[in-house]
Amino acid sequence: MFKNYLKIAWRNLLKNKGYSAINIGGLALGMAVTLVIGLWMNDELTHNRYYKNKDRIAQVFQSQTFNGRTGTGPAIPQPLEPALRDGFADNFKHITMCSWTQSNYVKYQEKSLSRTGNYMQPNAPELLNLEILKGDKNGLQKINSIMISESLANALFGNGDPIGKVLKISNQYDLMVTAVYKDIPYNNSFNDTYYIIPWEHYVANAEWIQNSKDNWQNNSFQMFVQIADNNTFERVTNTIIDIKKNSDEEVVQYNPRIFLLPMKDWYLRSNFDEGVQTGGRIRYVWLFGIIGAFVLILACINFMNLSTARSEKRAKEVGIRKSIGSQKGQLIYQFLSESFLVVLFAYVVAIVIVLLSLSGFNDLARKEIAFPWSNTGFWLISIVFILLTALLSGSYPALYLSSFRPVDVLKGTFRAGKYAGLPRKILVVLQFTVSVAFIIGTFIVMQQINHAKNRPVGYNREGLIQVPTFAQDFEDKTDLMRNEFKKSGAVVEMATSSSPTTRIWSNRSGFTWEGKPEGFQEDLAWTEVSAEYAKTLDLKVIEGRDFSRDFASDSLGVLINETAKKYLGMENPVGKFLKDTDDEDPDPPMKIIGVVEDMIAQSPYEPVKQGVYVYDRFNNFSYYNLRLNPNKSARQNISVVERVFKEHFPDIPFEYQFVDEEYGEKFAAEERIGSLSGIFTALAILISCLGLFGLTSFVAEQRTKEIGVRKVLGASVFNVWNMLSKDFLKLVIISCFIAVPIAYYVMNGWLQEYPYRVILKWWIFGLAMVGAMGITVLTVSFQAIRAAKQNPVKSLRTE
Amino acid sequence: MIHIQNLKKSFRTEEVETLALNEVSLNVEEGEFVAIMGPSGCGKSTLLNIIGMLDNPTEGNYNFAGHEVAGLRESQRTQLRKGNLGFVFQSFNLIDELTVYENVELPLIYLKMGKSERREKVKAVLERMKIAHREKHFPQQLSGGQQQRVAISRAVVTNPKLILADEPTGNLDSKNGIEVMNLLTELNQEGTTIVMVTHSDRDSHYAHRVINLFDGQIVTESQNRAMDVTI
Repeated sequence: MFKNYLKIAWRNLLKNKGYSAINIGGLALGMAVTLVIGLWMNDELTHNRYYKNKDRIAQVFQSQTFNGRTGTGPAIPQPLEPALRDGFADNFKHITMCSWTQSNYVKYQEKSLSRTGNYMQPNAPELLNLEILKGDKNGLQKINSIMISESLANALFGNGDPIGKVLKISNQYDLMVTAVYKDIPYNNSFNDTYYIIPWEHYVANAEWIQNSKDNWQNNSFQMFVQIADNNTFERVTNTIIDIKKNSDEEVVQYNPRIFLLPMKDWYLRSNFDEGVQTGGRIRYVWLFGIIGAFVLILACINFMNLSTARSEKRAKEVGIRKSIGSQKGQLIYQFLSESFLVVLFAYVVAIVIVLLSLSGFNDLARKEIAFPWSNTGFWLISIVFILLTALLSGSYPALYLSSFRPVDVLKGTFRAGKYAGLPRKILVVLQFTVSVAFIIGTFIVMQQINHAKNRPVGYNREGLIQVPTFAQDFEDKTDLMRNEFKKSGAVVEMATSSSPTTRIWSNRSGFTWEGKPEGFQEDLAWTEVSAEYAKTLDLKVIEGRDFSRDFASDSLGVLINETAKKYLGMENPVGKFLKDTDDEDPDPPMKIIGVVEDMIAQSPYEPVKQGVYVYDRFNNFSYYNLRLNPNKSARQNISVVERVFKEHFPDIPFEYQFVDEEYGEKFAAEERIGSLSGIFTALAILISCLGLFGLTSFVAEQRTKEIGVRKVLGASVFNVWNMLSKDFLKLVIISCFIAVPIAYYVMNGWLQEYPYRVILKWWIFGLAMVGAMGITVLTVSFQAIRAAKQNPVKSLRTE
Repeated sequence: MIHIQNLKKSFRTEEVETLALNEVSLNVEEGEFVAIMGPSGCGKSTLLNIIGMLDNPTEGNYNFAGHEVAGLRESQRTQLRKGNLGFVFQSFNLIDELTVYENVELPLIYLKMGKSERREKVKAVLERMKIAHREKHFPQQLSGGQQQRVAISRAVVTNPKLILADEPTGNLDSKNGIEVMNLLTELNQEGTTIVMVTHSDRDSHYAHRVINLFDGQIVTESQNRAMDVTI
């Protein structure tokens, strides 16, 4: 029986090739979108699967309140470690102090590379369950040891044995390789940790770390823990939440709360608003999940509409089958088998589409998703997916077609009832509602990105490069290098900074100034810079002046930004002082020498933070900022800069970043959403139009006689076109009016996340509506004009 | 075999109710060949559809081979129809996507008959109808007469007790029409009961009995002499 069904289905497919192509093609596109989104969601949701103890690992987070605003982050103070180890040891299996992941030069003999890695305590390999390929798992016990990843080992040693070899780190420290571990795979935290150096080494070589040993206010470190087997994250958090408050009277005013963020939340749910966990990337996972489901539904609607539109053609078959003994149930089963066959075909085509587009998608989404050929789970889900899609798209046509009464259809008096087309119309409205909402959504995302991109950044990022200087070799050579670079003709100005131009790495409090309100809890972005900083960046000085090497007193000077001027409440800040509140060993007061324009160093969607630029007295810089010669090409300039750099630092790899590119990275997430939703919107529209196209051709066919009669009576091509298009256009207009409020509601909600956001204008909605209608008219016209142009004699003869 | 009493059938549209059959009573015995005649719109086809259990009467009783049919649900009617009834239509009503063989095989599939048995039966009936050489063709590739022979093959392949023919020669030229009528006669002579709706006086002569309908009522009923019509 099933074979008979499939045979009929197959012959039907072959007989109506155009219809089959639209049906299978549309479904395949929809399924391909759903598949790609499914693979992407799976990738997002399986982040950190590598870690065996993932359900028991957490990062220690901290919330603090400054002037009524609560901030939350992973930075914690150093004395937290002994406090936890002494008082709460039985809550934990491991407590591991860790530095921020940072770049260092790693050198073996003549080969020097720049790689990211961490300083961690000796139990790190245990905590992270690192797979040791060579050497000793306890290799971090000795202060001068280093563990390296397999890829770094290969890069440095090729086939040679790295164990026992000595590496030079930051061109300064000699460390012996004690172990090689398997690289932590893509899609896991720490996958950019190419080496681990003992925490002890970190502390021993940095005075500021030693000085912050008992300082509860220096939040500059990370801590990872594995909780004890019999404990839960909530219980541990409840136990330690007030540990900081109870340890240092001075911090009580900031209401510090220490808590655990479980590993499963690191990637997907790490956003906090006023101390409350608000989600994160997980929102986009669901958003795209919904988009995928909608696109699939659009494709299924095509199937339903085309199947039921063809009902008059299939009606006869239903009648015959019923008259010779078919039960209704058997017919339902037959039509479901047909939809199953179509869906199966579509799925095969969808897989081909996915395979062809996966690498492009990976580039766009910054993923390394591979097609899961050998994953049984994937194939099982695929089967369920095919069956569900077949059921979703085939059930309505099956019920509709199988309910025809044989008497009606066999006598040839069958006419679909007055309301038979209604469900079809509703489905078309649904399709276009989704499409129009997608169009509006994409428009708004693009607008918001452009809005933020066009925001003035406060400095000139064109022709500005930054060169990392993460080694002691650079100390006290700033003036020399500035002269050398300038002399080369490739650079017109240079200044150093302690953080990159596009970021803020440090925030400070503990200052006082004239007119500071009682109890004011200040929080200032802190960057240490050299002379000519403002000049190098083209940062506009509004009051006072830039740092200058002509004034020795500038070494105790400070520039503040406009927001800081308001924040500090100073009418005329130039000449006033910021003083250290430390009683025992205060830093000398800093004199404000100028006010600079606000420059965006953090999120382009948020207000610029109050910040100070302090003269770098202690070689704390991490970057050279170079203003390239605008009269030469960037490539020429860079090669000259590299030559000069190598002359002075032959052992250090030359690296550079264009500041405008770094700045562009800030839009990466939104741009990705923008381009993905743009693509999905285009596909959604394409699928809807495919359906509309098919539907119009059936309607035109159905009304062939009517069109013929009308033409005989004098209707023009335009009249007929108008008659056929109007019906569909009406549906699309209804869709627009449903889609607009929905899209407005959703997108307005999305925009609320961005303090700096575009204002929604009515014309966006108008444009989307006009666009949707234009596409509809185009799609419908093709068939409508063809039908209208037919010779009426021919069409009347078909009766 | 067929006992119909006081059968009424009315159709309703939004405004008007049309009485298609009015107080029709009719008996057909096993082995009979009955022709129903009358002008267009007199209710012939409606009556045939009710006899064929494709439609339900509005009022009255219909007993088929000991089963009361009026008021049965569609699924029950289908059950009763299966294997007992064969249909022959004016427009053949073959399924275009199936070959001759597959069209004839279809009722047997619905009877859940085994494959080899089906093959045997289909082959036999196609041989008999002299259409076996066309078994792999699709309906559109055949002439009208051939298509109707396929339709008759499909109607008789289950060995039904009753064949219902709705103007079986209406779409055929006279030569093919006569051929089809001879086939039906032959089947009748072998014991199959036949009820046929026709416009054609010539065709009606093949029947034992002719029933004339007018405006939904039986107006005359006449007994035919023994068949003596020849080509």
